[in-house]
Amino acid sequence: MILDALVLQSKLFLSEDMGIEIKKVDIIDNSPDKLILKDYTSMIGTGGQLNLIVVITFETKILEHLVELFMDGEEVEDEEKEEIYDSVTGETINTIIGLSLPIFPNRGKGVTITPPITISDASNIKKYKNAKIISAEISTEFGKISISAMGSEESVK
Amino acid sequence: MLKVLVVDDSLIIRKKITKLVVKLGHEVLYSAKNGQDAIDSYIKEKADLTTMDITMPDMDGVSAVKEIIKRDANAKIIMVTSHGQEDMVIKSIQAGAVGYMLKPVTEDKLAIAIGEVFEKYAVEDDDDSELLDDEI
Repeated sequence: MILDALVLQSKLFLSEDMGIEIKKVDIIDNSPDKLILKDYTSMIGTGGQLNLIVVITFETKILEHLVELFMDGEEVEDEEKEEIYDSVTGETINTIIGLSLPIFPNRGKGVTITPPITISDASNIKKYKNAKIISAEISTEFGKISISAMGSEESVK
Repeated sequence: MLKVLVVDDSLIIRKKITKLVVKLGHEVLYSAKNGQDAIDSYIKEKADLTTMDITMPDMDGVSAVKEIIKRDANAKIIMVTSHGQEDMVIKSIQAGAVGYMLKPVTEDKLAIAIGEVFEKYAVEDDDDSELLDDEI
């Protein structure tokens, strides 16, 4: 249910808000030991009634396209490139989680979210003990994005 | 022309709102990246309107609204929020914010939000004048 909500809202955000064509979605719910990260990654924690870590990881080309769309044609200056890229990954995950909350269990009531955190210089995130990872990879005309939820078996179901 | 304070921790959103505010014929006084930065800026120069993000590090938007309203009960603050933050929007309105706008922010949404706030206050100001006239 959690992953379904995240995938649905990711698809809606990419296709309807950003006008990006979705080619296919692959669901990976066998809880691998680690999550392999792509070129740019952002994560958000949820707390209160639902304890999860949600991770979104982008291939360079799709993030570059999202940056272009967010910047509305304005050029990105070299000195602010890193912050702009971080803020686009952050806004994307923020929007997707915000849109997903009403379709989370209990309509997301009592669930709090942290500000987004950028992960850089890491190729993977390993799970600890009984944590579970569920993921979906969304292939678009501009490359791939993966969205994953990590938490206890109960949280991610 | 309104003097607007833009508050958001995301650079891309600060840039986007700044661009739209200018496009709508207003002036951006300052763009702040957290609640404390917003309060400091508001103390230096009062804005006619503030757009305020909710989830920010250091000091969130709801706390910043409370602090600004303590200093200026007539401050006009519009919350900028994602879906699913209804509880926080309610807290912000209770704290004194006058409206909200859902992300993604567009020119139309911003124009409508600004219009609604100032229309509402224009009506209230008119009502106050009538009361004053009656009293006189």
